[in-house]
Amino acid sequence: MEPPSASTELALTADGLGRAFDDRWAVRGVSLAVHRGEVVGLLGPNGAGKTTTVRLLTALIRPTEGTATVDGFDVHAEPESVRTRVGILTETPGLYDKLSATANLDFFGRLYGLAADVRAERIERYLRLFSLWDRRDDLAATFSKGMKQKLAIARALLHDPSVVFLDEPTAALDPEAAFIVREAIETLRRAGRTIVLATHNLDEADRLCDRIAFIRGGLLRIDSPAALRGALGGHRLSVRLREAPSIDQVGAVRRIAGVRGAETVDGILQVGADEPERVAPDVIRTLVTSGAAIVEVVPEQASLERVYFEIMGVRPGADSLEDHV
Amino acid sequence: MRRSIVWTVLQREWFETVRNRLLMSTILLPPILLTVAPVVLTAAVGASALPPELEQQVLAQRPEWASFTPGELAGAFAVQQFLVFFLLMPAYIPLSIATFSIIGEKQARSLEPVLAAPIRTSELLAGKAVAALVPGLLAGWLTYGIFVALASLLYGPALFGVVTDPSWLAGVFLLGPAVGLSSVVTGVIVSARVNDPRVAQQIGGVVIVPVIALVLLQATGTLLVGPVGYTLLAIIVLVVSLVGLRIGVRLFDREAILTRWR
Repeated sequence: MEPPSASTELALTADGLGRAFDDRWAVRGVSLAVHRGEVVGLLGPNGAGKTTTVRLLTALIRPTEGTATVDGFDVHAEPESVRTRVGILTETPGLYDKLSATANLDFFGRLYGLAADVRAERIERYLRLFSLWDRRDDLAATFSKGMKQKLAIARALLHDPSVVFLDEPTAALDPEAAFIVREAIETLRRAGRTIVLATHNLDEADRLCDRIAFIRGGLLRIDSPAALRGALGGHRLSVRLREAPSIDQVGAVRRIAGVRGAETVDGILQVGADEPERVAPDVIRTLVTSGAAIVEVVPEQASLERVYFEIMGVRPGADSLEDHV
Repeated sequence: MRRSIVWTVLQREWFETVRNRLLMSTILLPPILLTVAPVVLTAAVGASALPPELEQQVLAQRPEWASFTPGELAGAFAVQQFLVFFLLMPAYIPLSIATFSIIGEKQARSLEPVLAAPIRTSELLAGKAVAALVPGLLAGWLTYGIFVALASLLYGPALFGVVTDPSWLAGVFLLGPAVGLSSVVTGVIVSARVNDPRVAQQIGGVVIVPVIALVLLQATGTLLVGPVGYTLLAIIVLVVSLVGLRIGVRLFDREAILTRWR
């Protein structure tokens, strides 16, 4: 099932948002707009300011400069109204271990002012959604890490918030628990929730987010994963021929409309194009007409990892362990 | 301040407290000992008279005890030592609960989701403070009630009059709550800086030092505090506690908890 397209209505805005601790800026100049139903990732390395950005947007801490709104409520002027409209999964689940799953959720439901019948209905709904209903009376202390994370996500959803913030939801989880949590987020995405997902997991951001905001002390860039790859010249066709292409064949491919460039790398013809699948028939026809024997044609995209390093200005391995040995 | 939110916090605190066996044992054991010990001790000393020098010293400070028999005077003097012990309960029980509660939340990192909810820090602090204060006060008062009942049953009207005279009432019902509040405030302040409940309790134990000093002064007969003395002490402790509360509220600020509490 495809996620519903985001609405034009804004759920969240930030304009020049920044926060300094003493004389050090944790994050500065964050401007973005998140539409209702959209999943936006905040991607960056540890210490990039993701958690500070989440805390600013959830009115947990005050901005030093700039403004932000949730559902039109200002995080600085109306923090309590903002807090009623956001749900947050903090870096650690932060559950009360000596309380059962139900009691944990009930406590938060009461803090959000939900009536007893509404609390009961939603607790059941979310515990069932995340497959925790059978463990509802068990103490949170007895839960696995993945179950705790799911319970914390249920807690973040209990009051039906406009925007859900998930701060490093799969950090420190083993692959199985991380999978369970990603499935839970995917469920929310399909349900049309507006989600801000802070992570340093590229694959997670790529799979779950409509747009990705690269953060490192500020907002470096925000766009859809596909557009980010495209902007960095990441789309291409990889054409393997029985024999390496001739200069004439490469030249003929370069002249095809929509092709940005072509070159031979290790005997394979690499064809750059904004829309590789659209130019593929013309490339194949041109090569076959020129007598080339095509073995394989594969549309390829630059990995988000490459995009990440490009935007962050990092050269992986530039200061590798080997340099120190 | 919304009472429903304070009540929600308070209920959760109590729910967790009763599930903490270590904490519960430190809350329940001393009141039992403090009820039994004075009765047994009074029975032991009640048969013998005080040394003449001490008897004079006691009567100089408590002329209203002049009509007591030597045995009753010894019993009254012995029982008088235990008033301050009833002040220890509102001192250490709230300290234990407050430090376990706040440091427990720091360790579990459960405060951030709470602070992300539309709860005011004053409501959170009030819930925690009342949840810590009330068991100490109730334990002190309940133990005192049992103690009074036993004293009157076993030793007759003379000692009943001693343990219900204005100095005892002022001590238990005025100074006790003031000491309890100071204990909670100390718990909040110390817990904001320390990550181990036992360390916090040791540091917070300074609250008990003045109470111990009072025990020693009373035991040596140097100073038998009367109702005015207890009332004055209660006012002083209350004022100091309120000043400490302002510091505690600042330490309990949302941003301080999230960015400085480690």
